[in-house]
Amino acid sequence: MIRLEKVTKRFNQGTPDETEVFSCFDFSVNSGEFVSVIGSNGSGKTTLLNLICGSLFPDSGKIYLNGADITPLPEYKRAKKISRVFQDPKAGTCPHMTILENMALADHKNKRFGLGICVNKKRTAFYRELLSVCGMGLENRMETPVGSLSGGQRQALALVIANMCESELLILDEHTAALDPKSSETIMGLTDRIVREKKITTLMVTHNLNHALRYGHRLVMFHEGQNVFDRSGEEKEKTSLDEILNIFNGISIEKGC
Amino acid sequence: MAAFLSTLEVVLEDGFVYAILAMGYYLSYKILDFPDLSVEGTVLSGGVIFSLLVSRQVNPWLAMLAALVFGGFAGSITGILHVKLKIRPLLCGILVSTALISINLVMAVAGQGGDISGEGLSTVSIGRDAPTILRSFPFDLIPYQAGGVNLRKLVGFLLVAVVVKVLIDLYLKTKSGMLLRATGDNEKFVCMLAKDPGNSKILGLAIGNAAAALAGSLIAQSRGNANQSMGLGMVIIGLASLIIGISVLGKIRFLKPTTMVIAGAVIYQACLGVAALLGVPSAYNKLIMAALFTAALVASGRFGNRKGALV
Ligand SMILES: Nc1ncnc2c1ncn2[C@@H]1O[C@H](COP(=O)(O)OP(=O)(O)OP(=O)(O)O)[C@@H](O)[C@H]1O
Ligand SMILES: [Mg+2]
Repeated sequence: MIRLEKVTKRFNQGTPDETEVFSCFDFSVNSGEFVSVIGSNGSGKTTLLNLICGSLFPDSGKIYLNGADITPLPEYKRAKKISRVFQDPKAGTCPHMTILENMALADHKNKRFGLGICVNKKRTAFYRELLSVCGMGLENRMETPVGSLSGGQRQALALVIANMCESELLILDEHTAALDPKSSETIMGLTDRIVREKKITTLMVTHNLNHALRYGHRLVMFHEGQNVFDRSGEEKEKTSLDEILNIFNGISIEKGC
Repeated sequence: MAAFLSTLEVVLEDGFVYAILAMGYYLSYKILDFPDLSVEGTVLSGGVIFSLLVSRQVNPWLAMLAALVFGGFAGSITGILHVKLKIRPLLCGILVSTALISINLVMAVAGQGGDISGEGLSTVSIGRDAPTILRSFPFDLIPYQAGGVNLRKLVGFLLVAVVVKVLIDLYLKTKSGMLLRATGDNEKFVCMLAKDPGNSKILGLAIGNAAAALAGSLIAQSRGNANQSMGLGMVIIGLASLIIGISVLGKIRFLKPTTMVIAGAVIYQACLGVAALLGVPSAYNKLIMAALFTAALVASGRFGNRKGALV
């Protein structure tokens, strides 16, 4: 489905701040797989997602989507097949537009944005239904500008919006990190439901080890731009929280932190 | 009293015309957050193109359309410089308006049969026999004068401004228009919709400058000619009208931003009109404009955030 081949990514090349996040990095996700990615801060998780989505381009190496080389493709073209929820709740919606307007825009994804009227009131009932699943009462606030919602509410909306249209790959970057524990569980449950129903290939970054264990077919741990732990299927089912914690701590101790 | 009436007449006429320019600015500056300096050139282009065409007896509506299309073209160049060549917004506007200084002069001189390297008229006059929109259907149905007021001009310009307002309002409800708003609001979101935000920006600047050129063609009709200094101060007039309208009326919820902008343009012209009534020589006009604009900026900063009145 998605494959990174010998990808190298450096920031601030040629300055004293130069950091090499990935060096000759290989990674792949199979079609239909739900992968949870964990790893310490700065280990390169967001950078990986940015490389896949085209927000960043590798210094060398290739990126393939369904066997096609997408390395030079700009972000907006890749978005035809990829939907994404960002780590930053502000990134996934338009703050000065209402919930209804945001959803109406998303409803037209992958279609022409011509001179037809954008908001179709007949679709409102359908939008409300999608929102009611979040259990945050958003369905009763269709005319509210999104900028006046809380971070968690915005993130829930962003998740719903990202899944309004068919796509082949779903990218989630700590999409529950900004939510309170209850909403976080709700959104995680919603995510799992969407992924199962649509059978969409999913790459989810999370700092919640419980979620990483509970959801998904495959668990990957990153450390300093390397894939240090990778289990899937039954092997992953058998993995316990303690085991993960031990590995996590082991890495940190090794590095003397 | 007569002085007051004739000032009021000029205030309204100019207010309606500059409202069109300011509504263009609403798209480029307010929605796209792009301070577009190219209108300094496109207003004059619109005036020159219109005047040249109607002097050759071209239908004035067609002539206005030609001005509009040229403005849109120039605006899209500004957009392309920014989006494709990554040049900063202010510089893009300076580049395009500078290039237009030559283009407008060449059009004016050559269009009147002059010699570009020698003698030639740089001002394009609209002769008495040339068709303007006020001299043709449907405006020729309105009485030319009523009670000492040039009624036809007043109503004519108001109607054009209202049509532009309605079209912009409608456009902003379309998918393309909503995408434009989204581009100003969150480019990442537009990317996620699999659309290139750059295209929206180019389109928005094209519309903004098309409106500027349209305003230019009306200014030429109002004055009876297109003169090479016509473009001076257009950035200030457009921006100040926009910002005055939105900061003064922004709190009134049921008003559309475009309505506020029309009101802002009239208020701005009214300030200049009052200065004229008080006997301030017109040489001070640009100074007053700059002062008014500063006041409007301070007021808008104090009473509302930049996009507060957007929805
Ligand atoms: N735009 C950038 N410019 C410079 N350095 C960057 C940039 N983006 C990321 N980095 C660096 O790359 C490294 C990896 O960052 P990344 O955001 O991928 O981490 P992460 O695994 O997502 O961390 P977190 O869990 O905190 O979100 C960090 O050292 C970071 O400083
Ligand atoms: Mg991150």
